[in-house]
Amino acid sequence: MDLLTTSVATVESGSEHYTLVELAGEADVTNCDALREVLEAEVAKQPRTLIIDLSGLRFMDSSALHVILRANRAMGRQGGVLALASAREPVAKMLRLTAADQIVPVYPTVGEATAG
Amino acid sequence: MAEAPAGVGVFRHVGFFYRTDEQYAATVAGFLRDGLAEGEPVFAAVPPARLTLLRDALGADGRRAEFADMTEIGRNPAWIIPRVAAFTRRHAGRHVRYVGEPAWPARSAAELREATRHEALVNLAFADADADILCPYDTMNLDQAVLFDARRTHPLLLSGGRQGASSAYAVPFQIPPSCSLPLLAPPHDVMTYTYRTDLSRVRALVLKHAKEAGLTDSRASDLVLAVSEVAANTLRHTNSHGTLTIWHDQAEIVCEVHDEGTITDPLAGRRRPAPDALGGHGLWLVHQVCDLVELRSDSSGTTVRMHMAIHPAPAGG
Repeated sequence: MDLLTTSVATVESGSEHYTLVELAGEADVTNCDALREVLEAEVAKQPRTLIIDLSGLRFMDSSALHVILRANRAMGRQGGVLALASAREPVAKMLRLTAADQIVPVYPTVGEATAG
Repeated sequence: MAEAPAGVGVFRHVGFFYRTDEQYAATVAGFLRDGLAEGEPVFAAVPPARLTLLRDALGADGRRAEFADMTEIGRNPAWIIPRVAAFTRRHAGRHVRYVGEPAWPARSAAELREATRHEALVNLAFADADADILCPYDTMNLDQAVLFDARRTHPLLLSGGRQGASSAYAVPFQIPPSCSLPLLAPPHDVMTYTYRTDLSRVRALVLKHAKEAGLTDSRASDLVLAVSEVAANTLRHTNSHGTLTIWHDQAEIVCEVHDEGTITDPLAGRRRPAPDALGGHGLWLVHQVCDLVELRSDSSGTTVRMHMAIHPAPAGG
């Protein structure tokens, strides 16, 4: 089984239009290139909102964080919004310690991220 | 200190050698009061008993001063520079005063070495700061070696009521040799694992041993993050394997990572990276989550020893 799995969905229901990327497993320097490819492909489709669901992510290191911050910059440049949702405590703590949570909005759930 | 002119764009780093509470209260509170009288921002981070002395001596004046318990904010000495940098940044453009007492007798030898390293690095980190920094040293209770290193890390000394240049201060900047002594050999019963790209296995080993040693879930996760970040540096910066060594006793669990990389920046991990920075977070996280980090690096390789207390002491050193 892969250390990190990603799945992508485009949600269009009613007033909601967003891209949802679900991460599961462990994201680190050994698989952050794959993560970058997935995120770059989705950013290139220019969604208004890109939500990364972290609920299945047991671990994230600073390499993976940098990939997310890069995607956040790219989304910002094209007028979109990137948001993180459902981070488990170790990942949430890492986002706080790096102050990345001041740059990228972090929501308790995907539902709140879509409303935010 | 009372006669020291209010500095403009001046960095002064003074070691203050004291013997008695009365000396401490008079000199340190006087230093802070002089700053307050000039309307300067002042910040004092000292052990709790000393905080009480200062608060009592300053009385109502102390309300405009910022205080912190050094046994909390400086438990890991690597936390102090970013904390003081945040204070100077908050008051950018103004002359500030800071009192920092990072060495106290109950500290372990490793902690005292890192406190000495911290004091040396203050000269690098704040070289361009507009700040007066006063560092009290308890000459009655600290080892002579610690006091001698304080002479090496402070350009100025205040001792016996006289302030002057420290003849032991090394120019150009140098970290005292005591900070580079080889790390104590690990005990015999250690776990050793050689990794290449299997960081998930590294994390699993750290988690297993951290739980067995008795760390809480949260602190075990902290240690996993720290070790993983250091091991990730092996992959990023070297073409060879790294070695993880783990051991623990009643007091602490220690994880050591050795590889062939070299870390040249003495302030690595002690500057808070900008939130959107795309680098510099690794060692920052390592220092932030660990109780103590010892790092030795030269052209032959780098060893990072990360300590976590099993029962972290409540504040009150």
